[in-house]
Amino acid sequence: MLNIFVTPTSTVPTRMPPAEPVAAVPTDAALIAAWHGGDEPAAAELVRRHARALARFLAGAGALEADVDDLVQETFIRAFRALRRFRGQCQFRTWLMTIGGNVLKDAHRRSRRARVVPLGDDLRDTDGDPHEQAVADEAEQRLVAGLERLPRLQREVFLLRAQQGLEYEEIAAALGTTSGAARVHYHHAVKRLKEQMK
Amino acid sequence: MNDDATLHDAKLQEVARRLGAGAAERLDVERAARAVVARLRTEPRAEIRVLGWIRPAWLRIAALFVIVVGAGVVALNVRIPRLIPPVPPATAGGELSDLSGDELREILESVGKLGGGGEQQAVSAQDVGLDELSASQLRALLESLGG
Repeated sequence: MLNIFVTPTSTVPTRMPPAEPVAAVPTDAALIAAWHGGDEPAAAELVRRHARALARFLAGAGALEADVDDLVQETFIRAFRALRRFRGQCQFRTWLMTIGGNVLKDAHRRSRRARVVPLGDDLRDTDGDPHEQAVADEAEQRLVAGLERLPRLQREVFLLRAQQGLEYEEIAAALGTTSGAARVHYHHAVKRLKEQMK
Repeated sequence: MNDDATLHDAKLQEVARRLGAGAAERLDVERAARAVVARLRTEPRAEIRVLGWIRPAWLRIAALFVIVVGAGVVALNVRIPRLIPPVPPATAGGELSDLSGDELREILESVGKLGGGGEQQAVSAQDVGLDELSASQLRALLESLGG
């Protein structure tokens, strides 16, 4: 159990059950500090907190559906190994996604597989109008195909902005560029994607 | 930006926001968390540190090797010309050392005739005072004339 929950009357970290009403939600920074202190549940909590967003990012960046689980794990492993180099220049989640981009690039280099995965019927969300769903799926597949043709930086900036809803400053800090450059990359990406999706 | 473009941007962003949602929903987060923690436990940080240290160490050794070899090549290039004794310029000095004073005077007189140009006036050894010079002085004179 996490040992970083703190009672309001004490500054000494104590072990408390999760149902304790005074337990505060630990910040990412607190979880990272706890992990540095050898607290494994803190690492598990960080995974729980960010795994889905990371999976979305990886899938959007071209990961095969079947590979997403492995890529998410590998990204977290690399992130925890490199955590001492994380200086809080951006949010932990954003930093995680840049590592995810590297993991995905390495995976593509190893496998040289193209992502041509029209979703199987069993994987599709069948809620709603089937025609609308088919149109939405087609648009998604065209967007994925378009993203694959973009340079990596443009693709990642686009996903961090349009999919994850991050500000340019945050994206720039994570990718080690300026917010102006991030904005330019985003607009180039949008322009090219719009051309490809016409 | 016109309305069509705005609409198109909005549509693009809507599709982008939806992108990967299915994959994220289907991800077993608890299983992923357990797997990550298990891997972190079985791949201890000490080992990771060692591996992390070895790689840069090998890189450093390789870089040092390249620097040493490069410096050696440069040093050899600089020193080799010094180690090889310079080839003396071809002079008449070696040949002149065997000649007697009279022979040297004859040569000097013949040089004087050749150097006379269009005047073609013969210059004897006495005219130029060669008789008063020693053999070594004559040799030096001839060498200076030979350049």
